[in-house]
Amino acid sequence: MSGSFQYGVSLYSYTDDIGTVMGLEEAFYHAGDTGSTGIEILGEAHVEHYPEPNAAWLDRWFALVEQYKLQPTNFASWVDTHIQRDRNLTAEEGAAQLALDLNLASKLGFKFLRPKFGVIDDELTPHPIWEGAVERVLDLATRLDVIIIPEIHAPTPIRHPVVEGYVDFIQRTGTKHFGLLIDTGIFQDRPLPYWQHETPEMRKEAMSFLDGINVPVEQLAEVIEYTPFIQAKFHHIDEQLHDHNIPWERVVPALKSLGYTGYLSSEYEGVRDPWVAIEQVRRHHALIRKLEREYDQAAVQPEMDNHHA
Amino acid sequence: MLERSHVQSSGFANLGPEGARTGFRVRFRQPNYRGTRVSLMEGIDVVVDGERFPAEQNRYLIAGREYAYAELDGLTELRWPVGTAIDILVEKPGGLEPGVHLVETVLRYRHPYFPPRFRPIPVQDSRHATIIF
Repeated sequence: MSGSFQYGVSLYSYTDDIGTVMGLEEAFYHAGDTGSTGIEILGEAHVEHYPEPNAAWLDRWFALVEQYKLQPTNFASWVDTHIQRDRNLTAEEGAAQLALDLNLASKLGFKFLRPKFGVIDDELTPHPIWEGAVERVLDLATRLDVIIIPEIHAPTPIRHPVVEGYVDFIQRTGTKHFGLLIDTGIFQDRPLPYWQHETPEMRKEAMSFLDGINVPVEQLAEVIEYTPFIQAKFHHIDEQLHDHNIPWERVVPALKSLGYTGYLSSEYEGVRDPWVAIEQVRRHHALIRKLEREYDQAAVQPEMDNHHA
Repeated sequence: MLERSHVQSSGFANLGPEGARTGFRVRFRQPNYRGTRVSLMEGIDVVVDGERFPAEQNRYLIAGREYAYAELDGLTELRWPVGTAIDILVEKPGGLEPGVHLVETVLRYRHPYFPPRFRPIPVQDSRHATIIF
């Protein structure tokens, strides 16, 4: 039998609850109660006084990590390339931002850093400074042993120049400290409901990816060796543990068959009414754990049959 | 903790001495999932009972300091964290009548990771809020 997934929660799931009806400690409590071993945060959302948390906050952070037995997994950050209306960051400035977040992530115990670079087009092609910025901090990432993982996020599919650019970079530099974060939103095969203020015209023209870009799960095989972390994005799971948008019954077996044993870090992105996210994250964990169990049992069963034959 | 709506109940008040009001303020929660550099926020329009007060004419009280609209773009190192509010200071001689008002807001956010055609993106909210005196 192959290894198991590791389960985590991204605090992004509790967006809008955090700061209105939920503090950091409650977020740890709810994430911990799912049976997760990992917690993912957004630096510039969940670190008080980011980017310079004070000693009292740091003490609290380490106390929470200890109390709820949650290992820091991925630290999400941003490289705000379009920083002013008429000015973009230079590669040096982008590197400085990455260095700041690498150091902070490492200090808090994180193993991965997800920088979100500004983009230059509808296909989310990152601003060209990304490469020079990352190259400048590769030594630092190696020294801190933090892996930099930009995300592959809808509407960008797996077979795309953006992914090729990242893979070329890994092959050219030979680095072990740069990889891909796959956001499971790329496998979405049924439409999302309209967001507030979205019109049918907007959906048809610019937002068609919200209907789902439906990347075949088999294509995970092409990038799995570069993928140390998966953000398990989902939008709505009903009372029958049926996900309305993401085909977990295909995603989970695909990851299992490829031997993936990294994190599935649940990232709820749906209705933002108070407390809805807490229940949605629990349903997600129940669903993906059930599918993993079923896969493992199906794999064990033939072995047992052979044994008795 | 703050209210869910962008516009907060407490903090909505007239400015200036009673009898000689100069305007009003709107306390406004960081509406995004991440805190942001203020330079990424291209101002906030306020509409009260249909009367529009454009972003360009409003002032912004952020972390204890007041800024004009034109200054926002230069505030690349000032951050507006999640779970905190700023005050939008609106000039209106006489202020608002005590009572309940319909307050609508449009914040223009420039998310560098959104496609260029969606930069900035308008973020809207509206609610009733009460001026006490």
